[in-house]
Amino acid sequence: MDVRCAVETCAEFGFSGATCTPRIRCGLGTDVFLCTGSDEVYIFSTEGKILTAILQFPGPVSDLVQSHDKQCLYVACRSGVYCVSLQLLLSRVESSPADASSELKISSESLVAAEEGVSSLLLVGSVLLTLSQRDESWMLTLYKSSNYEKLSSFSQVSGVGHTEGKTMMRRSPVLICVYASDALSSIPNSSSNEAPNEGHFHLDSVLFKLLFGIDVALAKSPIILCGLPDGCLCFLPLRLPGSRLRVLHSLEQPVVFVGASIATKTSPGQCLVALGELGRVVVIKADKGGSSEARGNITALIEGCVPGPVVCGCVDKNTLYYSTGSDLLLLELSERKSGGEGQERPTCNTAGVVELLALSVRGRLRRIKLPVRTEDDRLSSVSNSQVGRSVRDLLSAIGDVCERASVLKTSIKSKNQILQHLNQVLNISYLLMAGGENSSTNFSFPFQNLHPGETLEVSLPLRAAGDPSFPVTVSCSLLFSLTSLLGEEAANLLALQISCISLPLNTLTVDWLHALQVSSHKAVQEKITPQATDPTEAFLRSCRLRKVEGGGEGALKYLASVRVSAELLRDTLMVKKSSDFDPLATNVATENVCLSLLEWLLSEGPGGVTTGQKGDKVSLSDSVVQAQGPNRQTVKLTAKEVYAGEEESLATVEVQVQSSSIAAVCGLHHAVLRRVQTLLQRAPERAASTKSVQSLGLRQALQRAEHLLQQIQQSRVSEVFGGGVSTGQMSRTLLNVYREMRENPLVII
Amino acid sequence: MSIKMCQPLSLLDRWIQENNELVSKWKQQERGGDALGRDQSQNQTHLRWCSSEFHKLLRKIQGIPPLADHTQLELTVVYNACVCFTAQSQFSEAELLLKQSTERVLHIHSSSTGSDAVASDPHLFWRTVLTSVGNTVLTPCVLRLLCLQWAIWLSTCQLKSIQEFQNELVSVFERLSAEVWDKGRSEPRGKSSDTPLLVIDPRKLIELLQICTYIAQGAEGLSEGRSSEALSGLQTASSLPAPRILIAYTHLLSGSCLAHMGCPQMALQCHRKALETDHRCVCALYQSMLIYRQLGNTQAEIQALRLLHSTLMLPSATESPLAGTDLLSPSLLLHSQSLSSMLSVPSALSVLHNLALKCVLHGRVSEGVEYYLNLLAALQSEDQLGVHAGNPPLPRLPELYLQAGAALLMAQRPADCMALCDEVITTTLELLPERVVLEEPDEECEAGSRALCGGSEDRVGMLLWASAAYLLQGHCHTHLKDWKQAVTQYTRCFNLLVKVRLKKRGFQPQIPSADMVGKQGTDLCFLQRLKGLSLAGRGISFTQTDQLKEALRDLQLSLQAFPECVAAGLWCGEVLWRLSRRREAASCWEKTWSFTPQSTEASLSVYLHEPQSGPQLDSMELRRRIQELGPSLLV
Repeated sequence: MDVRCAVETCAEFGFSGATCTPRIRCGLGTDVFLCTGSDEVYIFSTEGKILTAILQFPGPVSDLVQSHDKQCLYVACRSGVYCVSLQLLLSRVESSPADASSELKISSESLVAAEEGVSSLLLVGSVLLTLSQRDESWMLTLYKSSNYEKLSSFSQVSGVGHTEGKTMMRRSPVLICVYASDALSSIPNSSSNEAPNEGHFHLDSVLFKLLFGIDVALAKSPIILCGLPDGCLCFLPLRLPGSRLRVLHSLEQPVVFVGASIATKTSPGQCLVALGELGRVVVIKADKGGSSEARGNITALIEGCVPGPVVCGCVDKNTLYYSTGSDLLLLELSERKSGGEGQERPTCNTAGVVELLALSVRGRLRRIKLPVRTEDDRLSSVSNSQVGRSVRDLLSAIGDVCERASVLKTSIKSKNQILQHLNQVLNISYLLMAGGENSSTNFSFPFQNLHPGETLEVSLPLRAAGDPSFPVTVSCSLLFSLTSLLGEEAANLLALQISCISLPLNTLTVDWLHALQVSSHKAVQEKITPQATDPTEAFLRSCRLRKVEGGGEGALKYLASVRVSAELLRDTLMVKKSSDFDPLATNVATENVCLSLLEWLLSEGPGGVTTGQKGDKVSLSDSVVQAQGPNRQTVKLTAKEVYAGEEESLATVEVQVQSSSIAAVCGLHHAVLRRVQTLLQRAPERAASTKSVQSLGLRQALQRAEHLLQQIQQSRVSEVFGGGVSTGQMSRTLLNVYREMRENPLVII
Repeated sequence: MSIKMCQPLSLLDRWIQENNELVSKWKQQERGGDALGRDQSQNQTHLRWCSSEFHKLLRKIQGIPPLADHTQLELTVVYNACVCFTAQSQFSEAELLLKQSTERVLHIHSSSTGSDAVASDPHLFWRTVLTSVGNTVLTPCVLRLLCLQWAIWLSTCQLKSIQEFQNELVSVFERLSAEVWDKGRSEPRGKSSDTPLLVIDPRKLIELLQICTYIAQGAEGLSEGRSSEALSGLQTASSLPAPRILIAYTHLLSGSCLAHMGCPQMALQCHRKALETDHRCVCALYQSMLIYRQLGNTQAEIQALRLLHSTLMLPSATESPLAGTDLLSPSLLLHSQSLSSMLSVPSALSVLHNLALKCVLHGRVSEGVEYYLNLLAALQSEDQLGVHAGNPPLPRLPELYLQAGAALLMAQRPADCMALCDEVITTTLELLPERVVLEEPDEECEAGSRALCGGSEDRVGMLLWASAAYLLQGHCHTHLKDWKQAVTQYTRCFNLLVKVRLKKRGFQPQIPSADMVGKQGTDLCFLQRLKGLSLAGRGISFTQTDQLKEALRDLQLSLQAFPECVAAGLWCGEVLWRLSRRREAASCWEKTWSFTPQSTEASLSVYLHEPQSGPQLDSMELRRRIQELGPSLLV
């Protein structure tokens, strides 16, 4: 149910990095005491909406409590507990009326109990209780409030994670006092029907006895309940010999609020409520006879969860009010839904209107009036004053929404940041996983007597790892067994976990070019015959070959090309080959460049891979090479001189790869590029003349590239939306793009 | 050249001055602390400050290589710093400082002597130190440090170390006290600004150490059963110069030794002497009370309890008599477990309860009632805040209420008794279960199971308490001769009791009967007793309203549940007699008289005893009737 509340902003207090939970305490009449975690305590009159006084303490204030007669104020500060007489205070304030909000410095003269790190205070009768943290444990100390004599102290070992809360500020423990409702006479100042003191609750006697035992009930002893930041809910019978702090329940999250719904004659199930920071609600109530075996009253513990984080809470007859920092929510505690909801609730008159006093995270003190939720006839006739008020409601609600919006904005921003980080992490992990996907196969072979200078030849099948997909990386390493090297004893002596030592030797890359078999007819015959041991198989193979060849050159429909500047080739390949380079014989030289490029490509590749045609160097007579790939695809490699650029000023050599198999074209293209890259590294550094670069028509090339990119993107978009484009159609588009890219390469200078 | 000569001298003077200022500041604080009384935390802060200041000074002095001129000062500052450490119970720090500083000054290097034994064995170390010092100016300084080692051994309960080093320590004591006396006499007072001062007079320290060592050794010997050996040491100690409370402790422990050796009267003498020496020695009173109890002297025991209670109620009783404002207090030196258990005294409330119970059980009912009421008032009072449980702990509160109620009834105050019982009933009534299963605890794991099944234990306990309260109320109405009301209350009591089912291992829960009661003092025993008493009470009430049939039924059932019930037996006979079943009546009476007096009754709570009030039957009269019947029986 969405309820609009009347919200009224009373005052604003600046907040500067509060170190602990802010506190509001209602004082005499309409006075309110506020501490926000700073050194100051504000006294605010809600009636006049003015700040009556500011009390300045020597250290950060963590808690404050008023004496039962409302004559003095106890304030927990870093160094101990101070007692300030309010009578004296008000007289001092009145004596200087010019200064509307007079600031009073509280000196150490008012220090009544020196105890370091008091985080919560409670006054029960003539006893002042302090709760402070010492190293690993919490100390509950009792002082006589008449002379501040230390009576006794109790400790409770604190669990982990009490300071590492989600919130930045330190959560103060909750300290309350619980009385059995039939022990009313023993409570000080219970003569009138006024609202109970803050932090003092009356609990139905049955529940009280069930929770704390009959000895406590007989002794009419109040119970001190502490909700600690480690989630522990501890209790101490105040006036029972030999009592000690015991754990009642654990919320497993910092306790934000502990209280009891107000006991009335009409409300059937009174309960004790504890609320955790992350939204855990524990409701403990007395249950009349569950099982048939042992009837009678037993405690029922109901655990639930409300959306957190919960900042603070309070409770009245049957309702738990709690704040998440941005929203004020309420939870019905009695779940007995008998009859109409409206009728069950006691009729609320003007005195029954729920009014909450709230301090927002930004330090704004607000008065919140909850609407009476009975269907009241009087409300239907709206009077003028009420209209005016509703407008005011709206205005203050708008202010509220603004504040909420800014909070939401920051939260969205932080969520976006988190998403970005997450995306990065996902990308990285995807890359890592992709890298690991490459399958690898291990071969190991022993060798015994290999003397220096000797070689060992081992044949390994490339197909063993499935279909050979080039390039294949071959990593060789030498493995020693320690036992065989050192002898058993020595190895045992070393007591090493690893019995083997691995020495990486070298890494080779076998690519498509290595796998090519250059085929003149003769070569094919020669190469095949020794392999075919079975004549039938040989026959079949030759048939297959012929069939492939029969397809002719027309079948080599896929093409890719690489352009390399002739100058680069001349510098790197030719110098090595013929030191007596004749500048006059350009024609021969051109031919030579093409040939030697092909020769170089087909001969030993970089990285020391020796191809099958080892022994006799590949000597080509023609700049066109026919070859067969590993899957017997026919492949044609052509090298020819082309003049590139607008004025055809730059001499380049174009290597064309043609095949009927697109896989072969791709693989070979990749291999050629890789080889040329190593060539580039070898080339002496030299700046290409700008002119020649300009003349290459870079702009056109770029435009073309952009066009291609657009095409790719378009196809991707249509893939995503599946907009009528079939997969076949799309792959065709992509293939076209690919081919176009390969066919019009940039020149490698 | 002259500067070089001058500098160390002035440095020395400055350090001496610094040391003396610190010492005088401490002394000032000590005097001030006396005036303030109990500002312990302030004392502690000051001590911490002093300790760090001495340590800082020492670091300055030790910042330069050891010089012969500085040795005396350095050892004095080491003494002062170590005293502060020890006073804060930082024993390992103090011990390390002692060892390292002594090594540095006397050039004793555990490595150069070639053995690690010196480093690890403190006795060997100190012997080496003593021989290397010989008899020089430095001797008193080193002996003072040895005193501190002694104090550390004592505080950490290393009595063995002290024992092994006893000879050396005795000689140290003699030499040092002689030295101090000599020094005190020979040195003029005016030179005091040149000599470094000490935070504690070593003579005082040695006196304290000696008597505390005797006390600790005595307690140890006593707890190990070497009473006569302990006694001789303690008697030597009792004549030493020492604070009164420590002398009182020697008397107290001597008394405990004598009590162990079977001389209770001599032990009582010693305890009296201890109290005479120092009235704060409350445990002497407690120990005397225990001896009287052992001797069976109830009146003296009650007297001792009364004295003990009034002593414990004094405002000074909460303070430990050992704690002092001195730097090294006896409480610091006397740390041993055996001693603290010997010095422990039950809480004032526990003593008051004991006193009340003893009075009620031994015929001083009205006195006992007053104590019970005092106890209940104390438990309700606002001053009763967070009092720690003494040893033994007080009984549970309902138990106390019922005991007090029984006492009130004995003192002819039925209305008050009923009020107390009402309290118990209203408190427990809402929590009583409809049915409860009492599991018969196994022989072997009785203690364990009791601790484990705490929840149901308390439910059974509550039920027994509530029914006992009804029983007492029944007795009250009987006392007031309001038979109708008495019957009602006894019935309520009985109705509660039948809710209990007994579960034996491997059996279904069943209604318990008298033959199942195995052990006295168990819940089952209480249950059967309560059943018997309530039925007997109701039966007797029926006899008064002449409902003899009902009376006979109840009394017979009562005897089934609790065969040793004397009232039930006698009244059963009476009803039979009235019903003219005289022979049965006679045998019933004879049988009842044949019961051996219950030895277990004394160990039971007062409210479970058979009531002394209400209609009584005169045994003489009954015997006379039997005699009259006798001849006719023969005929």
